[in-house]
Amino acid sequence: MSTSTPDLTHGAGHGDHDDHVTVPLLERFPGRGSAAAWPLGLVGVLLLVGGTFLSWSYTGDVLGDLSINFYPGGVQICMIVLGLVALAFLLAHRGPLSRLGDWLDSAAAVRNLGLGAVAYMAVAIGVIAYESGGLINVNPGGWVSLVGALLLAASGLMLVSRQHKDPLFAKTTSWLEICAIIVLMALVLFGAAYALGIGDGASFVLFLMFVAAAATALAKSGVFTWIGLIAQKNRPVLMLGAFAVAFLFPFTQGGSDENMSIATQVLIFAATALGLNIVVGLAGLLDLGYIAFLGAGAYVGAVLSNSAFATIGWKPPFLVVVLVGAIFSSILGLIIGSPTLRVSGDYLAIVTLAFGEIFRFTMGNLDGNNGPDLTNGPNGVPAIPDLNFFGFDFGQPHNVAGITLGRFANYYFLLLVIAAIIIFVFVRLNNSRIGRGWVAIREDEKAAEAMGVNVFGLKLFAFAGGAFLAGMAGTVKAHHDVSVTPDQYIFLESAFLLAAIVLGGMGTVAGVLVGATILKLLPEKLRFIADYRLLIFGLVLVLMMRFRPEGIIANQRRKLEFHEDDEDLAERIEEVHLEEAEAKA
Amino acid sequence: MTEFLQQIVNGLTLGSLYALIAVGYTVVYGIVQLINFAHGEVFMIGAFGALATWTVLFKGQHGLWVLPIMVLGAVIVSVLTAVVMERIAYRPLRGAPRLAPLITAIGISIFLQEAVRLFYPGAKSKLTFPEIEVVSGTALQVGGLTIQRAAVFTVGALAVSAVLLWFFVNRTRLGQGMQAVSQDPDTAQLMGINVNRIIVIAFALGAALAAVGGVAQGLLNSNIDFRMGFLAGLKAFTAAVLGGIGNIQGAIVGGLTLGIAESMATQFIPGQFGGSAWKDVWAFVLLILVLVFRPQGLLGARVVDRA
Amino acid sequence: MTVTDTPPPPATPSTVGAPILEARGVTMRFGGLTAVKDVDMTVNEGEIVGLIGPNGAGKTTFFNCLTGLYKPTEGVVTLSGQVIPPKPRAVVVAGMARTFQNIRLFANMTALENVMVGRYCRTSSMALTSILRGPKFRREEAATRARAQELLEFVGLGDSAENLARNMPYGDQRRLEIARALATDPKLILLDEPTAGMNPQETKQASDLIFRIRDSGLAVVVIEHDMRFIFNLCDRVLCLVRGEVLVQGSPGEVQSDPRVIEAYIGGGDDDEDDDPTPSLDAGTTQEEQQ
Repeated sequence: MSTSTPDLTHGAGHGDHDDHVTVPLLERFPGRGSAAAWPLGLVGVLLLVGGTFLSWSYTGDVLGDLSINFYPGGVQICMIVLGLVALAFLLAHRGPLSRLGDWLDSAAAVRNLGLGAVAYMAVAIGVIAYESGGLINVNPGGWVSLVGALLLAASGLMLVSRQHKDPLFAKTTSWLEICAIIVLMALVLFGAAYALGIGDGASFVLFLMFVAAAATALAKSGVFTWIGLIAQKNRPVLMLGAFAVAFLFPFTQGGSDENMSIATQVLIFAATALGLNIVVGLAGLLDLGYIAFLGAGAYVGAVLSNSAFATIGWKPPFLVVVLVGAIFSSILGLIIGSPTLRVSGDYLAIVTLAFGEIFRFTMGNLDGNNGPDLTNGPNGVPAIPDLNFFGFDFGQPHNVAGITLGRFANYYFLLLVIAAIIIFVFVRLNNSRIGRGWVAIREDEKAAEAMGVNVFGLKLFAFAGGAFLAGMAGTVKAHHDVSVTPDQYIFLESAFLLAAIVLGGMGTVAGVLVGATILKLLPEKLRFIADYRLLIFGLVLVLMMRFRPEGIIANQRRKLEFHEDDEDLAERIEEVHLEEAEAKA
Repeated sequence: MTEFLQQIVNGLTLGSLYALIAVGYTVVYGIVQLINFAHGEVFMIGAFGALATWTVLFKGQHGLWVLPIMVLGAVIVSVLTAVVMERIAYRPLRGAPRLAPLITAIGISIFLQEAVRLFYPGAKSKLTFPEIEVVSGTALQVGGLTIQRAAVFTVGALAVSAVLLWFFVNRTRLGQGMQAVSQDPDTAQLMGINVNRIIVIAFALGAALAAVGGVAQGLLNSNIDFRMGFLAGLKAFTAAVLGGIGNIQGAIVGGLTLGIAESMATQFIPGQFGGSAWKDVWAFVLLILVLVFRPQGLLGARVVDRA
Repeated sequence: MTVTDTPPPPATPSTVGAPILEARGVTMRFGGLTAVKDVDMTVNEGEIVGLIGPNGAGKTTFFNCLTGLYKPTEGVVTLSGQVIPPKPRAVVVAGMARTFQNIRLFANMTALENVMVGRYCRTSSMALTSILRGPKFRREEAATRARAQELLEFVGLGDSAENLARNMPYGDQRRLEIARALATDPKLILLDEPTAGMNPQETKQASDLIFRIRDSGLAVVVIEHDMRFIFNLCDRVLCLVRGEVLVQGSPGEVQSDPRVIEAYIGGGDDDEDDDPTPSLDAGTTQEEQQ
């Protein structure tokens, strides 16, 4: 505790390179290492939480209702939760939970929670002042909490990290691990349901800030390292849990079609992005025309549907349509892939982009005037009827256990199945002979070829396989969207899909789910930035590539590929490998 | 026959435009092996730079004398954009996996389009480009051929640019530095050439030509919009590859070839798959065919295989 | 072929069998430049053949012709009597594996995974099997893993299975590359400068390893600059100069041939070849080349 050399403050192997940058700055903070830090933190928590029980705002129509004493609103509850988490870490630093502190970097957690709370309070007070016309309308509770947040942040900056063991080597019993996963899943479900239910943009932003602050704090403290490890150990539990959460989600929405519509869109987008992730993340092929394969599936779904505007007379059952759409899509993939996969990286990107544009133009042209009438040209195929599985009408609401599930919920379940199939394929392929071949190709194509890996075959398989999955999703999308038009399949959509992968983390399932959710959910919830959506999107892509090219949730190997010269990282990842091997043995 | 010649004229016009943009792809690629995807937006910004210059300084004037100043305005805006882009976005990514600059380029491209759409007054819809005496107005009739006045400007601008470019690359110290860097950046650095400066110059050079292209496009179409860079950029890239990416003469030859091929396809592909509805499709089909079967282009690329 | 008069290998003397690799009249031209000119080479079962020559003599180019990285302008390469097509993968499938002069491991994979990639062409699980994971898949996956571990132990890296290739010491990386090549079940293994950049002790280990590979029934071809290493190791040595075979014979014969000494001392500075072979004694330069 009394140590002041920053290097010792990091536990064995805990060499997160971000920390090296911040350490000198932290050292300059006055009172660093002083005994006052810890009690200061306790006072901070007290004020922060105490403030939430007082009124923050004079008027009751800002950020929900924050004007009533002893009746905290949603925005205030976030701060209560944050305060309690901070308290737990403070007690882990010194006090009854100090055994936990042996494993976690509690000081870093308090620091991040404190800074996050300050930012949160600043924005909250700013919003109150802005919306109700002046700082005068901010009630004492807000100021109390702000002071609490500032004290907490100061305490965090003054605390010196204890020497702690790496959470990687923590031995925990399996029931504890499974409980942790269940709690995590429940939190995700609750958080997602809560976030979707938030009405105004400002509250939504605040909620995101809260989540970001909590997540960074947990990540910095090392909790996520541990969670990552137990997730790896208990993979089936995790998968099942995640699927259960996704399955339960519609029941939390009380039949609200608006939220379910967003959720369904997120799911379509995520499923497609996961398919693309096989191509980009696993096989390392940059495909900028992937949306065309979704489009191909959708067009097949449309022209083989019962729509009065369908141009082909054949109306097979939907399962057949799904198969036809997927196969048609993958044939397109083979046609475009077999000659082009011999060209190198950048050129492949351009070829696929050109292919995507050709697809869109062609669909827009085949209206009977310029070529055969297949797609009705720019008008597309409208009025596609809802699906009907053995009498189960997707267009009608259904009652399950007293909860109404509307049209979108029906599609949501269907899409969930498709997403599950894609995830299943993704994970299984990744951990197989084929997956190893893909990594080898990404690492060194020539060496892979010289070691007998069928480079061309594997690339083509990824390309056509990805197209197959997109085609499958496309047929459902056609029914979900009711109409299919060429302008749904523009280049920007491909860019969005790619962005979901890049943002979330290439080659990971969780990352792409997070990326897809962020990209689809934010614009829906943040209507006030709607016009600036693409501007911000472009900027985020550039910044992401500059500062965190491996994405929010990084695939370890990808991370190394982007940081070739980071030896610390390589060593740390190796430790994880050793640990996993030990766990298996 | 007149039809044929007419299409040649149209093709040359279009091709000159492509060539002006294509030089930017090729120069940058030749030096840093980077496909600057956002180059089409630099072209678009050039057009808006010209329009802004005219709106601010000469609103209501249509004399030929404003044209050079409009071109200058376009060049300044484009070059600034390109240089800032290189400095902020691309330079930190040198040595990163190829995916990174490509995604960055997509990001920049979207950002620039949106920036213009949101912050240029009235740019949410098409904007009228000013008419300039001599270079716009009634088309010239030469022996049964219709030649737009702006077409003459476009072809002329390409010719002048090509000569200046040739002079710059072969007859100036900087141009020779550029050649050296494109041969071998490490050695060039050891020989005391400031590689970073050369790269900035390559970006600036491409941007300047694209800006001229932007003005030409404005005069040809008499309106501009924020989306114009995407398709033009892609076609110009096709032209650059067609001529052999990294090869400056190649970009010009490729541009003209693509322009003529596109005009001919519009006119002479019979049946339902001809006509202007399919011309972009044929251009992209050409792009794919070239990339697959002759990635080194017509004149041969400087870098043939970068395995 | 007779047993050589240089110090015999520590284990059993080589039992030379039928020819396994035969290269006839291999010629490689790049434009107007002839890098390899009409080279004949025969490798018999259970034999270690050395390929030496000054800088730029075309050794690696010849290697690349054998392994299908280059398509020779003229000439035929047969393996066990079968003509092998000049495609790297076909060559591996036919039973000839190689290592690289500049180590080309899959740097971000573990040692075990690297070797498992080598098993790729000897296993057959395709997409559907991998997705559905039937008993066949599990069996094959387990066998792949077991074989890879066995090979790691063979080259002395049994304890490094979970280490990332990029973190391994230089000498271990060379051995790992050999293990990866062995994983393709070759009849013949081609080693391109296996001791470049190694210290004497590591070199000794490497030659022991090569003897053990030979004793397990494989034929070995080695390119090397270290004369002492090659003359101690090989049953037969070819000396390549300016793309042509200058001398061929037992190590003793080659060692004492005045033309070889002449070629190394007199013609060592010719670099009309684009063969990126580093200078005679400077194995360390390869580390920089990576």
